[in-house]
Amino acid sequence: MDIQRCKGARDLLPEDMERFRQIEDAFRNTCINWGYREIKTPTLEYMYLFTATGTLTPAMLSRVYSFLDWDGWGGERIVLRPDGTIPAARLYCENMARQDIARLYYITNVFAFEETGTSDREKWQCGVELIGNDRPVADVEVISIALEAAASFGIQKIELKLSHAGVLKALIAEQKLNREAREALLDEILEGNWQALSLLKPKIKGQADIISTLINLKGKSSGFLANLKALPAVSQNLKREIDRFIDITSLLDSLGCKYEIDFTSIKGFEYYTGLCFKIVANGSRICSGGRYDNLLNLVGGVDRPASGFAFFIDQISGLIKPPSRQKDWKTVVVRTRNKSETCIKTAFNIAGALRNAGLIVEMDFGGSQLKARWVVNIGKQPQAFTLIDNITKVKKTAGKVDEIVSIIGRVGNGD
Amino acid sequence: MAIKYPDTAVKLALPKGKLLNPTSALLSTAELGFKDYNSNTRIYRLKSDNIPNLSAKMLNERDIPIQVAIGNYDFGICSSDWLQELQTRYPSSRVFKVADLNYDRSAIFLACSNQLPLTLNALTKSSQCWRIVSEYPALAETVACRMRLKRFRIFPLWGSAEVYPPESADLAVLKATGEESLAQLQLLPIHKVCDSNACIIANRDSLESKDLSVLLARLSSAVKNYNPTVEKPSFKTLPSMSNYSYRKSSGYIRMALADGHQQIHTANFLKKTTLKLDGYTAESFQRRPSCNLDWVNVKVIRPQDMPQQVANGNFDLAITGRDWLLDHLYQFPSSPVEEIIDLKFGWVKIVAVVSEDFPADSIDEIKRLTSSAKFDILRTATEYTNIADKYLRDRHIDRYRVIPTWGATEAYLPEDADMLIENTETGQTLRKHRLKIIDTIFESTACLIGNRISITSLHKRNRITEIIKIFREAVN
Repeated sequence: MDIQRCKGARDLLPEDMERFRQIEDAFRNTCINWGYREIKTPTLEYMYLFTATGTLTPAMLSRVYSFLDWDGWGGERIVLRPDGTIPAARLYCENMARQDIARLYYITNVFAFEETGTSDREKWQCGVELIGNDRPVADVEVISIALEAAASFGIQKIELKLSHAGVLKALIAEQKLNREAREALLDEILEGNWQALSLLKPKIKGQADIISTLINLKGKSSGFLANLKALPAVSQNLKREIDRFIDITSLLDSLGCKYEIDFTSIKGFEYYTGLCFKIVANGSRICSGGRYDNLLNLVGGVDRPASGFAFFIDQISGLIKPPSRQKDWKTVVVRTRNKSETCIKTAFNIAGALRNAGLIVEMDFGGSQLKARWVVNIGKQPQAFTLIDNITKVKKTAGKVDEIVSIIGRVGNGD
Repeated sequence: MAIKYPDTAVKLALPKGKLLNPTSALLSTAELGFKDYNSNTRIYRLKSDNIPNLSAKMLNERDIPIQVAIGNYDFGICSSDWLQELQTRYPSSRVFKVADLNYDRSAIFLACSNQLPLTLNALTKSSQCWRIVSEYPALAETVACRMRLKRFRIFPLWGSAEVYPPESADLAVLKATGEESLAQLQLLPIHKVCDSNACIIANRDSLESKDLSVLLARLSSAVKNYNPTVEKPSFKTLPSMSNYSYRKSSGYIRMALADGHQQIHTANFLKKTTLKLDGYTAESFQRRPSCNLDWVNVKVIRPQDMPQQVANGNFDLAITGRDWLLDHLYQFPSSPVEEIIDLKFGWVKIVAVVSEDFPADSIDEIKRLTSSAKFDILRTATEYTNIADKYLRDRHIDRYRVIPTWGATEAYLPEDADMLIENTETGQTLRKHRLKIIDTIFESTACLIGNRISITSLHKRNRITEIIKIFREAVN
C-alpha cells in the first residue's frame, strides 16, 4: 500500500500510545505531588512571540512551520508552536500575572521542520515552569522534580549535566566583540559548535586559559567552580556569575545529588540566563531546562524570574520497557455466534455486569480477536453459558449472570 | 580526439531580461550554437546547432533555480540572489552552484529611506512591528531573525521595493550595485545581506549521474575567456525620485498606479479625467508623480502588489486588474479590499490552457483523466497561484500541484507543466505556441480598488468620494 502519511509525520499505534500514556501518567503524578497544576496552550501562536530578542535562536526560527492565516493580509505570520516554554510564559503573562508564584506543568506537541523527513517533525514534550522565584532553591526544586520524574519512568541509568548561561554570556561579553561578531559567535555556540569559542583570540591576558578550562574540563562538585573562580584574569562580573552557579551546586551537594558540570553540554540556550541542565540516558538527551529570568519580560512585559524544564517523550519512549501485558489477563471476551436478539441482549447484559465489577470486557460477534483470560460463550440456549479460563484451561458452565460475575470477578480482582 | 557528446538529452534554462545579452555573449564564446538566443527572439525553445541532444528554454530569471531544482533542467544561468532565496526557503533543494560569472555584480541590502534614517540599534531595541518589503521574502525573514528584530512583518513583492520606504514600509530588502546606487534611490543601507552575481547552477542529480562534461568544459573555458565590458548601471532609465521629500501625511489620500504593461493604459485613462499627473507618461516617468490635487499622494508600483498594500492601509486607492484583486481575495477571504469602480479598460480573460496535443478539451475531461490511475498529478503553472488553487479545488481535480511562475508561463507547456492558468486578450500568443483554451474562468478589466475601512474613515471619506466621482465621470 502507498504511504499517504505526510513526510516527517508519524502514527502512534496502540502499543505506542500505551507507552506514551505510561510516561504521561508518571510525569503528571510527579507534578501533582509537587503541587504543580496543568495548563494547555493553543497549537497556533503569532510568530513574533518567538522572534522577540533572545527567545528562539535564528537557526530554530528557520525551521518553524509558519504561514499567513486566512486573514493574514497584514503579513503577520502564524506558527505551529515550536517550543513549550514560550507559550507557557505568554499564558502566565496574559492570565495569571497577579499570582506571584505559579507552579505549572504541560504536556504538548511541538513542531519543527526536519529536512530529511526521516525523523519526526512533530514531537511531544512534557515540562514544568516555576515562575516567581529567583533563588537557588527554585533551581534545585526544578532539578529534583526532573530527577524524580525520570526515575518514575523506569529509566535505569541517568546522568545530570549542568552548565550556566550567565557564566557563558559574561565570558562572551568580556571578549569585547562588535555586535556582528558577537552575534555570529553566539549563533555558533547556540548550535553547539564550541570550537568557535576556543578559536577566539582573547584580548585580555589569561582569558584563553579560562575558556580552555571551561570547555575541556568536567566538574564533579562545587570545588571545580571554586577552582575556576580562582584562576587569574577572572573578572568581577564573571566571579559573580560563578558564585550564582556555586550557590546551586553546593545545595545539590548537600542533598547528595550527583551531577557533572559540563559547560559544553547545552545548546540553543538563547533564552536562558542562569543555570542550564540536561538529563542524559543511554547517550541520548531526555530532558533539558534551566533558568530564564528575562523571558517573561520579553514575552509579556511582566518582570518575573522563572525556571523550568521539558522532557522529550519520544526519546524516553525508546528507553522504557513496554507496559506489562498483564492487564490483558484482566480482560474478558463475551462471545456469541448466535444472531438472535435474545442472545445478543444476554451478551450485552453479562458484559455490562462484568464491567460494573471492574473488568475490561470486549464483545465478540465473530472474527478473530485479541486473547483474553476469560471467554464467556453464549450458546443457542441463552440460559447456558460456558466459561473458559485461558490460563488454567478450565472450562466451567454457569446458568446465571451473578454466578459468572462472582467467578470471574474474584479472579479479576487479583485472586 | 573524437569529442564524446552526451548521449541523453541535456537541458539548459536560460534567462530572459537583463541577463540575456551578457549570457548570450558568454554562450557564443562557449560555441554552444544557440544562435536564436538574443533579445529579438520570439521563441522560447532553442536547439543547439553544435552539440547534439542539447536544448534550452528561455525562462524568467526568477523561475530558473526552482526549475533546475525540480529537475526540469540540468543547468541554468541566473543571478545568485535567486538561488540564495530558493535555498533559504527550501534548504534541501536539489540545486547546486557550479560557477560564478563575472557579470551582474551587485548585492542584496537591507535599507531604509534616507528621509527617515534608522540605525541597527534602533531597529533591535524597539518593539515596533517593522514593515519589510522585498522580492526576496525568505532572505528578508532570515536577516530579520538574525538581527533579532523583535517584531516584523514581511510583504513579498513582485517588484519596485525601492519606492516603498518610508511611508509604505520601514525597510526594504533589495538588490543594488552599491551604496551609491541606493543613494540614487534615496535609500540608506543598514546591512549587506549577501553579494550577488550571475552564476551557472546545476541540478544535483544530473551532476551526480549524467556525463555533462562536454557542456561543462565548454562553459568553463568560456567563463575564463569571457570578459564582459563592465556594465555601467543605467541609472538614467530608472524612474527619478529626486524631487521627493518626506512629509507626514495623515490627511493625504494615497493612491497607487501601475508600472509595467499597464502603465500606458492607465495613463491614457487618466487623460480622460480631470486628475492631472506630472511624471506618469511614456516620456517622463517618476515613481512619485505629482498630482494637481495637492492632497493626493501618488506612487507607482506593481499592480500585482496593490491589493495587499491597500488591505494594509498603506494605500487608500489603487488602479489594478480584477485578476489581481481576486487572487488576493482568494488568499485572504475577509480582506477589507473591494472593487469600487470597473474602469472598463485593459480587458483580458483568465483561461485554463493545455497543449494542443493534450488528450482533453474541457475541465471535465481533465477531471476524468486525473482520477484515472494512468495520470499522476496535474502540474499547473501560473502567476495566479490563488486563483489556480481555488479553480482546481472547486472543480475537484484529484491531485494537482500549482507551480508559481513569474511570467512567460506559456513556455512551460508541455514539458514542464500540463496546464496553465493565464490571461489572454485575443488568444493569438497561445495559438502561436500551439496551446488550446479549455475553459474561461472569468473576465478581468482594470478597476479602482479601495479599503472598506479607510473609505468610511471620517477624515478621508470626503476626499475619497471626490476621487471616486472623478473616475466615475470618466467611465460613463
